[in-house]
Amino acid sequence: MTPTPTPTPTPTFSIPPKPPAGPIELGFALVDERELAAFARQERVTRDDYLERLGDARQCVTLPDDAEPTHFFLGSEFCEHLLPSIEAIDRAVALCERWGVTFGLVTPIACDSLFEPLRAALARLPAGAEVTVNDWGVARVVQREFPGLRPVAGRLLGKMLKDPRLPSATWARMYPNGLRAGPFREILDNLGIGRLELDFPPFGAADMYAGIDFPVGVRAPYGYIAKGRICKLGSLALDVPEKFSPGHRCRRECLGFSEVGARPGTRELQTSQRGNTMYYRHAPGMSAAIAEAVANGWVSRIVLSGA
Amino acid sequence: MKITAPISTPAEVEPLVRAGARELYCGVVPPEWIRRFNTSGVNRRVFGNLNGYADLERVIDNAHTLDAEVFLVLNAQQYGEQHLDALTEIAAHFRSIGGNAAIVADISLIASLAANVPELAIHVSSVATCRNVESARFFAQLGARRIILPRDVTVAEIAAIATELPELDIEAFVLNDGCVFEEGACHTVHLPMNKGGPICIDNYQFEYRTASGEAPAERALRRLEKNDQDYKRWLWYRFGNGFSVAPNRYPWGPCGLCAMPAMHAAGVHSVKIAGREGASERKVKSVELVHEVLRRIEDGEPETKVRECAVGLRAAPSHCASGYMCYYPEKRSRPEIAVHAQPA
Repeated sequence: MTPTPTPTPTPTFSIPPKPPAGPIELGFALVDERELAAFARQERVTRDDYLERLGDARQCVTLPDDAEPTHFFLGSEFCEHLLPSIEAIDRAVALCERWGVTFGLVTPIACDSLFEPLRAALARLPAGAEVTVNDWGVARVVQREFPGLRPVAGRLLGKMLKDPRLPSATWARMYPNGLRAGPFREILDNLGIGRLELDFPPFGAADMYAGIDFPVGVRAPYGYIAKGRICKLGSLALDVPEKFSPGHRCRRECLGFSEVGARPGTRELQTSQRGNTMYYRHAPGMSAAIAEAVANGWVSRIVLSGA
Repeated sequence: MKITAPISTPAEVEPLVRAGARELYCGVVPPEWIRRFNTSGVNRRVFGNLNGYADLERVIDNAHTLDAEVFLVLNAQQYGEQHLDALTEIAAHFRSIGGNAAIVADISLIASLAANVPELAIHVSSVATCRNVESARFFAQLGARRIILPRDVTVAEIAAIATELPELDIEAFVLNDGCVFEEGACHTVHLPMNKGGPICIDNYQFEYRTASGEAPAERALRRLEKNDQDYKRWLWYRFGNGFSVAPNRYPWGPCGLCAMPAMHAAGVHSVKIAGREGASERKVKSVELVHEVLRRIEDGEPETKVRECAVGLRAAPSHCASGYMCYYPEKRSRPEIAVHAQPA
């Protein structure tokens, strides 16, 4: 996947801004259900509470002044071992009712054995709750068996090039995203999906979200680069041949440890690995571009989440 | 069960079919694509493509003469809106010269081809990360005839999908080339090696941190570092045992030969050999290797005997005993053999 030697820039296009429909929606995504305890003490949550959970990374987020929490998400897009327990889902749903925000369950690419616990989890959700789907099979189940829920296409379904090592924007244009391509909208419509959640890629621009015929949410301040089913950290307690293989048990070591680093000699985006997934952290310019997209009405929701 | 093998030149057709392949897959980058889009990104490989439509036609003619089918790879994770018509034209041309199926990952392209080139079969690429029954049904509704399962599924998962959906052909990996991340969830490019190569083996220098941002305690750190060493060893196997071959020229690298009896029993339609950009000899030896195992299965040999054969064919069972060379490690042969294999 190498570009031809003498690429020329793709012409830029101009799309008029969409008038903002109202205040931006603001969500917070939590993977580790044990962290619910810290939220449980609060009668209400504010944007500062959300930002506080990001630690240093809060410096990489720019929010409009009127952005206040509207959504709270629990679960992982990246791992079948991190589906929240029924107890945690019940607690989170109750918290959201108390705070007056919408609950969302986040779900990963699924193996068949995940569908039974997933159905049990979906059955606990109140009508109108969101389900972030990252697997077409899960989307089918939500649509067919849980018509009262609102499926959202997760960032694993909104494919785009996100390699933080790309040398230039020319490389980033090699495989443009297909978010406006032909039948994409119709396919999602047929699954009852009415919203799209995306990352902000390296060399992205605010208008990359313009003209997408869906309400768009953006995850900030971390984008995901790649995720495996094989998990180095999740193999910590295993012996060969289970180590580095699919379908094994897991002690959720990724909730206790992460890896942060860089490629020596580069000044690329800060990169980390948590469990089976690599992430980049937004640079200030990326955060400004997202703010511009919000101001132009191209993005209607920001979901804050850690790496 | 059929053997699906990669080709990158017309000259490879005959030796691969003679060695036992009944299905061949290839890519092509038409010159007009490069002129129009200024990129060679038609599929996920820059190298290992046929030179043009004339070669593609030769491949199809030769393969059909030898009773083999030809599939065209159009398997980028995603294409821009400007690409869909051009890809449909390529697929329609492929069909018009006798091509049998397109291998596709992008859902919009799957739907476009099903609508516009209905006589061309659609095989859902492993890049689509279809690894459950419901997902396979989704792709079947879009128009797919075959699902190529991604790497890193278990044999039980393969069997469940194949059993549940007999109307779909199921294809599973059996030899060569191991992705570290899931292909369909990896949004990177394989950079030239001087710029970093694949991100999974690039030179990232990571440090462990606890959830609270501190360095782990000494004991935990020692365990993590030991796990890292094991992981490096697994990576070495995942990348073709350092891209080496056995003394008898059979290829090393990710392998599912021991799982073939179970796949055959489950009704898996085809087993896939990866590596379009590999050398011709590597492709032929790969097909020979898989064909030898398949022949024994079809002759009715017991599974234990077939697995013994599979482990012995490359004359270095210690690699198999390491447990790190398997696509399907739960089917790993467990002979009482000491582990001698070490990464370079």
